[in-house]
Amino acid sequence: MYNEVYINNKVRKEYKHLLANIGNLSPDVIKRKKSEAEDIIRNIGITFSVYSNTDMTEHLIPFDMFPRIISASEWKKIHDGVTQRALAINAFLRDIYHTGEIFRAGVVPSDLIYRNPAFDVKMIGFDVPHHVYAPIIGSDIVRTSKNDFYVLEDNCRIPSGVSYMIENREIMMRMFPDIFQQMKVESVDNYPQHLLNTLMSLKPKNCYGEPNVVLLTPGPLNSAYYEHTYLADTMGIELVQGNDLYVEDGITYMMTTVGPKKIDVIYRRIDDKFLDPLSYDNSSLIGIPGLFDSYKAQNLTIASAPGSGIADDKAIYSYMPDIIKFYLGEKPILNNIMTYSCYNTEDRKYVLDNIHKLVIKEVHGAGGYGMLIGDRASKTNIDLFKKKISKNPSGYIAQPILDLSTVPIFDNANLSERHVDFRPFCLVGSNFRKLVSGGLTRVALKEGSLIVNSSQGGGVKDTWVLADKDAK
Amino acid sequence: MLSRTAENLFWFSRYIERADATVRLLEVGYRISILPNTDQGYRNEWEAIIESIGSKEEFIRRNRAFNRKNIEYFLLFDKQNPSSVINCFSKARENIRLARTAVTLEVWNAINTSFYEFSTYTGARYTTKNLLEIIDIVKRLVNTIRGTIVNTQLLNDGFDFLTVGTYFERSDFTARLIDVKYYILLPSSDYVGSANDQFQWGMLLRSISSYRAYNWAYGTNEYSYSRIIDLLILNMDCPRSLAYSVGKISEHLKSLVNYYNQNSKAHNQAKVIFKKLKSQTPDQISNYGLHEFLESFLVQMDDLYDCLNQKYFRGI
Repeated sequence: MYNEVYINNKVRKEYKHLLANIGNLSPDVIKRKKSEAEDIIRNIGITFSVYSNTDMTEHLIPFDMFPRIISASEWKKIHDGVTQRALAINAFLRDIYHTGEIFRAGVVPSDLIYRNPAFDVKMIGFDVPHHVYAPIIGSDIVRTSKNDFYVLEDNCRIPSGVSYMIENREIMMRMFPDIFQQMKVESVDNYPQHLLNTLMSLKPKNCYGEPNVVLLTPGPLNSAYYEHTYLADTMGIELVQGNDLYVEDGITYMMTTVGPKKIDVIYRRIDDKFLDPLSYDNSSLIGIPGLFDSYKAQNLTIASAPGSGIADDKAIYSYMPDIIKFYLGEKPILNNIMTYSCYNTEDRKYVLDNIHKLVIKEVHGAGGYGMLIGDRASKTNIDLFKKKISKNPSGYIAQPILDLSTVPIFDNANLSERHVDFRPFCLVGSNFRKLVSGGLTRVALKEGSLIVNSSQGGGVKDTWVLADKDAK
Repeated sequence: MLSRTAENLFWFSRYIERADATVRLLEVGYRISILPNTDQGYRNEWEAIIESIGSKEEFIRRNRAFNRKNIEYFLLFDKQNPSSVINCFSKARENIRLARTAVTLEVWNAINTSFYEFSTYTGARYTTKNLLEIIDIVKRLVNTIRGTIVNTQLLNDGFDFLTVGTYFERSDFTARLIDVKYYILLPSSDYVGSANDQFQWGMLLRSISSYRAYNWAYGTNEYSYSRIIDLLILNMDCPRSLAYSVGKISEHLKSLVNYYNQNSKAHNQAKVIFKKLKSQTPDQISNYGLHEFLESFLVQMDDLYDCLNQKYFRGI
C-alpha cells in the first residue's frame, strides 16, 4: 500500500511543511477547527442529496481538513495524461458519429458501439459545433505507487464535484491562512472563468455576437443542485430549468421579466434522455420540446453533446489505450486498469474462478452502486453476482482490486490513514484545452474501505498542487 | 432576469414577512391571554387569532381545542400548516435556492442559517416556557435577513421584486389584523372605548411595533377609532400602514418600469390603489364601514397581484 505522506516512517518532502504546522495540533484546536469548518459548510449550504425509496434528504458533505498534496512533477504527469485522454475522447466521438475509421482499422469492434444503448443514432453525421462533443471531462484517477497512476474512468457526460474543489480550498484558506502564505499552492478559483470561456468558445454557427450561455439544471431535488447554483453564480449566467425555456421556429428562448431572450449555449446538467420529450423519453416532464431540433438547426450548442456518454461506457474503457494510439499516435501517459469483459468467454471464466480477487462492476452502474469487491464480500453476495454475470455477461466487467494510496484524515484527534482517489476536470474549448491545477480528492472515511463515493460514506479533501519552484 | 427568478424573489420576501407577522400575532395572543379579565368581547382570543390569518378551518381539522399550546405549535412548528413559521422559513429558503444566482452569498447565508437555527427549536428543545424567547429569535432572524438584503444586494430589478414581496405581505397582514380587531375580537360596538378595547389596541400596536409610534404621532396614549384608522391605514410615517406599503409597492414597480423601459399594468394598478387610499379620511372610511373598506382593499390587491403575475412572472 502506498502511503502518500510517509515513506519508511519518514515524512515525504512535500508534506514536511504541512505536518510541521498541523501535524501536532492539540485535540481541542482540531475539534474547534472541525466544527468551524462544518459551520461554514452548513451555512454556505454545500449539500448533496441522497435518494432512497421513501425520502429525499439533504446531507452535508463530510469534509476532512488534512489536505492532499501533489508535487509539480506528479501534476505534470496527471495534466498531460488527462488532456491527452480528453483530446482522444473527442476525436473518437467525432469519428464514431461520422465515418468510423476506427472500426475499419479493426481497433474497436463496431458492434460494441452500434449495439450500445449509449450510442445515439440521431447524432450520426451531425457536425457538432467546433467538433467538441465532451467539453468537460472528469477522469477518476487512483494511485498505487510512486509512479503508478491509473485512470478508473473518464466521466464525459456531466461530471460533478468541481464546486467542492473550489469550496474546499476556500474553507482551508479560512482555517489555515498561515500555511498558504508559506507554501506555494496553485489556485483553483479561476475554474468558473475558464469554464465560461470554454462554453462561449463553443457557440453555434448561427450565433454572431457574444453568446448567451445558461446552465440547465433538473432542479433542487438533483443531488448536484448545489454545484449547479455555484457554477451559474460564479460564471454570472442564468440557472434555468426546463420550464423556463421554450423553442419557437428552431430558436431556443428563456422567459424573462422583459420577455423572451434567445439562448445560444446550454451547459446542461441533465441526462440526454430528459433533454427533449419529442426526441427522447416522451414521459420527461423536465425536458424542452423542440430543443434537439434547435440544436440540429445550428441555433444552439448543447454541452456536452447528446450521445457523448458512449465514450465513458465501461465497455469502451478497456479500449482507451488503443483509442489514444489510433487518433494521436501517442503512448498513453496514464495507465488503464486491466479489465475483463464478462461477455468474452475466456474472460468470464477467469472472472468466475477468481471473483475473490476482483472488483465486479455493472457496465451501466455509477456512484459506487451495483458493484462487488471480491475480497470483502459475503458469500451470499458473491453467489448472487456469479448468477447475475452468468445471466447477463455483457452487463458486467471485472478489474483487479487495486491497493489505493492513502492520505491521513483527522479521526477525532488522531491522524489515521484512509484510501483516496482523485478527479481533475479537463476543459476542451474550440481550440484550446485547460486543466485547472487541482481537483477533487475523495476519501473513504471508513477504515480500510475502498469506496469513496459521497453517497456511500465517502468524504472530500482539499488537493494542493504545488507550484514548480516549491518542488525542487 | 428569468421570470421564475422574479417570482421566487417575490415569494421569498413574502414568506419572510409572514414568519415575522405570525410571531407578532402570537405575541398578541400571548399578551391578551395573560390579561386577568378577558370575559368581555370575544370569548376566545386564540380562536380570533387563528381566524384572522384565515387558518381556522385548517386548525380545526388538526386540533380539538383552541388553547395556547395547540396554537403555539400550530403557528410555529406544524409542518401541516402551510403558514407556520417553520414552513415560512423552509419555503423562503426553497425559493432562494431556486433563485440562488440572483442573491448575494450573504443573503443566501442569512436565510440558510436562519432556517437551520429555527429548525433546532423544534422537538425536544421546544417547551411553552420559552415562547417569548422564540418570538424574539424569529424577529431577530428576520431582521438579519432583511438587513443583509439592504446591505449587500445590488439595487437592481431583483431588489425591486424583493421589496414588492415584503410590502405585499405586510399590507395584507395589516389589513387582516385591523379587521380581526374590529370585526371579530370586538364584535359589538358597545365595547368601543372600553378598558378592554384600549388594552387590545395597545397589544395590537405592540404586535406591529407601532405602540410607541402611536404615542409619538398623536401625543397621547388614548386610543381613538379615527387615530387608529389613520395610523394603520393612512399614515405615511408608519411603516406598517396600508398607504405606506402600497406607496412602497408603487415606488418599486415604477422603478421596474424605468429599469426595463417597459410600461406595466401592475404599476398603474398600484398607483390607483395608492391614490384612493390617500384621498380618504378616517371618517370617510368609518362611514363606508371599516370591514367593507378592508375587504375591497384586499380585492384590489388581488387584482394587482394578477397584473404582476402576468407581466413579470408569466411573461412570454
